[in-house]
This record gives sequence, C-alpha cells and structure tokens, in this order.
Amino acid sequence: MSIEAAAGRSPRGRRLDRLAWRLLPIVPFAAVLLAWSAYWSAVRPPAQTLPAVADVVRAAWDLTASGELGVHVLASLWRLTLGASLGIVTGIVAGFFAGLNRHVSDFLNPLVVFFNAISGIVWLPLMIGWLGIGTALAVFLIWNTVFFIVFQNAVLGVQLVPEVLEQGVQALGAGRLETIRSVTLPGALPYVLSGIRSGLGFGWRALIAAELVGATTGLGQMIFGAAEYHRSDIIIAGCLIIGTIAVAMDRWLLLPIERRTVQRWGLVADIEKEG
Amino acid sequence: MTMATAPAASSTAGAAKPAPWRALRGFKILLPFLALVLVWWAIKASGDFPDRVLVSPPQVWDALVGLIARGVLADYASTSLRMIGAAVLISAVIGVPIGFAVGVNRYAARALEGFLRFLQGVSGIAWLPLAIIWFGFTHQTTLVVVIYTLIVPIIFNTMVGVRAIPENYGLALRSLGASRLRLVTDVYLPGALPSIVVGLRLGMGYGWRALIAAEMLVRQGGLGDLIFGARTFGQIDRIIVGMIVIGTLYIIVDRLLVQPIENLTVARWGVLRT
Repeated sequence: MSIEAAAGRSPRGRRLDRLAWRLLPIVPFAAVLLAWSAYWSAVRPPAQTLPAVADVVRAAWDLTASGELGVHVLASLWRLTLGASLGIVTGIVAGFFAGLNRHVSDFLNPLVVFFNAISGIVWLPLMIGWLGIGTALAVFLIWNTVFFIVFQNAVLGVQLVPEVLEQGVQALGAGRLETIRSVTLPGALPYVLSGIRSGLGFGWRALIAAELVGATTGLGQMIFGAAEYHRSDIIIAGCLIIGTIAVAMDRWLLLPIERRTVQRWGLVADIEKEG
Repeated sequence: MTMATAPAASSTAGAAKPAPWRALRGFKILLPFLALVLVWWAIKASGDFPDRVLVSPPQVWDALVGLIARGVLADYASTSLRMIGAAVLISAVIGVPIGFAVGVNRYAARALEGFLRFLQGVSGIAWLPLAIIWFGFTHQTTLVVVIYTLIVPIIFNTMVGVRAIPENYGLALRSLGASRLRLVTDVYLPGALPSIVVGLRLGMGYGWRALIAAEMLVRQGGLGDLIFGARTFGQIDRIIVGMIVIGTLYIIVDRLLVQPIENLTVARWGVLRT
C-alpha cells in the first residue's frame, strides 16, 4: 500500500494516513449520497422522479420486513445457481473436449464466435415462445451466457498447458485419462476459474435483464413492476441491492476461490491483474 | 443456408481474391453453419412443428429477403447502429478524460475503484425502469442505459492503463524539462492507449447487449424492437432473421473495426503488454 508516502512522518501521522487510505473507497459513495440529499432538499422533486435518501432506505426496510425482498432475492439467486452450474459443467466438459482435439475446436470455432455474439438476452423473444415466462427461461439465458465464456476459457486453458508437461507424465507411463486428470485438468483450472468468475458477472446481468420481462418474481421483476407504479424508491433500492449482491458474490465467493487455485496450481502468474 | 450466408458474408467477399487457401478457409468457416442449418431443417421436417414454434430455413431466408426488400431491416439496423455509435462516442469523450484524471492520482484511483466495481455490478439494464420514469419510452432512455453500460469499463481500463505506466517514464521526461502537457501526450496517452482500446472493445460487447435489451423494452425501433415485436405476432422467421443480423453486425463491427484498431495500437504503442 502507500505507506512510503507517509515515510518520515511521526508514527501518529502515519497511522492517520493509513486510516485515510482505508476509508478512501467510501468517499465516492458518501459524495453521491450528499449530492443527492443536497439536490433533493434544494429542488424537492416529486417522489416518483427522485425520492429522498430516507425514502429509499424505508422502501428497502419495508421490502425486507414484509419478506417480499427475500422472495425476490431467493428467486434470482436460485435461477443464477441453476443456470450457472449448468453453464459451468457443460462449458467445462465441452471446452475440454474441444481443447483436447484441434479438429473439433477448429470446426466449432465459427459457431462459437457467432453464438457468443448473440449469447444471452438476444434469445429472449424466441425462448419466451418455447419455454414460456418463468424460471426455465431465465435459466436458459444464464446457461447460454455462462456456457460460452467458460467454454472459451476452458479451451484456451487446455491448449495453453505446455505439451512438455503432458509428455513428461506420459513418458512415465500414464495413460491418456491419467494425463488429463493429473496434468491438463489442474493446468487449465486457473483459466476455467477466471472464466467462471467473469461468466457469473455476465450471468447476473443477463438474469436481471431476463427478469425484467420474462418472470413473475426476482429482483429484475421487482424493479420493473415498481416502474409501473412509479415507485422509484423501490427501483433505486432494488438497483443498490443488485449491485451489492454482485460485488459480494465476486469478493467473497469467486475471488477467494480463484486466488486459492492460482496459488495451488497456478501456471499463470498474473491472473490477478484482471481482477 | 440462411444461417450460413449471413455470418460468412465478409469471408466470401475476401475469398473472391485468387489465393486458393482463402477460398478453402471461407469454406471451413461456412461448413459448420451448413451442418447446423441441415440439422435444423431435419428437425423441422421430421417433427410436427407449427410455424408458430419453428420455421424452416427457407422461410427465414424469405423473411430476410422480404425485410431487406422493403427497407424494414435497414431501418431497424441503422437505428441500432447509430445508437451504439453515439453511445461509444459519448462514453469515450467523457470516460477517457475521467479515467486519466483518476489514474494519475493514486488516492483518486483508490477511492474510485470500489465505486466503479459497484456501478458495474448494477448492470445498465437494471437502471432501465428508472430511466423510463425519467425520460419516458424514448431513444434518450436507451442511450442513457447504453452509455452507463459502456462508460464504466472505459473509465476503469483507462485508469488501469495509466496506473500501469512505470513511474520512471514520467520522471525521466520531467527531469528533461517536459511540461505537464508533454507528459500527457508523450507518456500517459500512448502508454494507456492499448488499455483504453481494450476497454472500448469490452464496453462495446456489454453495450451492444444492453442496447438490444433496452430496445426490447423501450420499443422505439432498433433490432431489439424488431425481434421483440415479432414475438407478439408469433413471427418466428422474423425473430431468427433479427438474431442473425444482431450477431453478424456485432461480429463485423468487432472484427473489422475494433480488433484492427486494437492490434494497431498494441503493435504501435504496446510497450506494456506482452
């Protein structure tokens, strides 16, 4: 961290600097809240255009207390879990299959480029007709989004495992399966995990978009439904919750998993740069 | 056939040149799509699917020809393209300077990083309901949502690009008496450019998707409106045409416009990427 900046100052000053450094990330949030409150008390816009900060807090509290928020959050998270696990499993399996076989990956590549370009929300109109409105639709859209990212990362990871390592194990008498299990799999894992991490980010976005029209519950439906009654307090509260869940998921679930794998099996040193 | 011709349009144009391997390459790109179209056709032919559920490839071809002939497709597509173009321009003009301002200052970078991550977590499309209340069902609503989606990765990557420039480069120039402006034009801008272009490319990917989603809900023209509107009347052929056009346009813009720029900047100034 930036301790060198504080070098040559008294220990107390240094501690203050370190504290300020810690608190810095809060500043923009506080600034936005302040500007919002100031604007609100100066202009007093109608509540449906811009609610007061307190109104948003109250809306969030009411939603939580009535249990409504819990229902929506659970519905969204359940869909994400279903769609993402499907996407991860199929993406890894297909990715390994394609990555281990040049002919397969060459053949599939144009299709992957094309379907990746229309992955996710573009399927919504077609799939509403096939799957109807509800969980199946959202799960499909998340699967579709996550699959291509995980697939592409898995292919890349498998292809980037140095051949020498595989040959080394083979020279020691390992069969094809054993080689895949003990060399290719761990070697590709860091790529697969960074694919999962960005895939979940995309999946969460796709889910919210899908829920706006294609569901009867879920956070996306909650804010879209609120728009009909011009309840911007609920919308803003919902957006803040959506962002918080996304950040929390990345910070406390995906980043630690990725870190640990990279440390354990990492052939790639600088995967952190992306994060 | 329809599936195959659309995405490979660019490659067949390239294959007109005599080099035989180019023709072969074009064929290699076409082949998987051909296979896919055949499977799709077989499914339609063997099963008892009404047109409301699944249409055959020739029907999609007819819809494509019809939409082009009547100028409908050009109308919808140009709306989307103009929108994404405007959004990219505005986001770059606003986002890059902000990214610079934040990137040159360590404290500002530290302060804004978490905030930007949070904004990215609230996807642009989540703000759509609020934007609809504020701006109504207008192009403005769509534009706001797309710019929001685009600008965050642009600011973020500009910031990262500036932060990644070794401090010594700037110090060296300054010790030779360079002004602040020279520092920006000779060190920061070229140093950060590859990262900025990466941000633009990423943003385009997010932004195009957000645009389609927003168009579906705002219903004021654009390819998203085309496919979502077709759904109301159960016109599967139109939906599939729209999807093919959406994918093809994105690939064309990404491969023929953005990727060459990225390669150029990385080749020309890419000191920091290996």
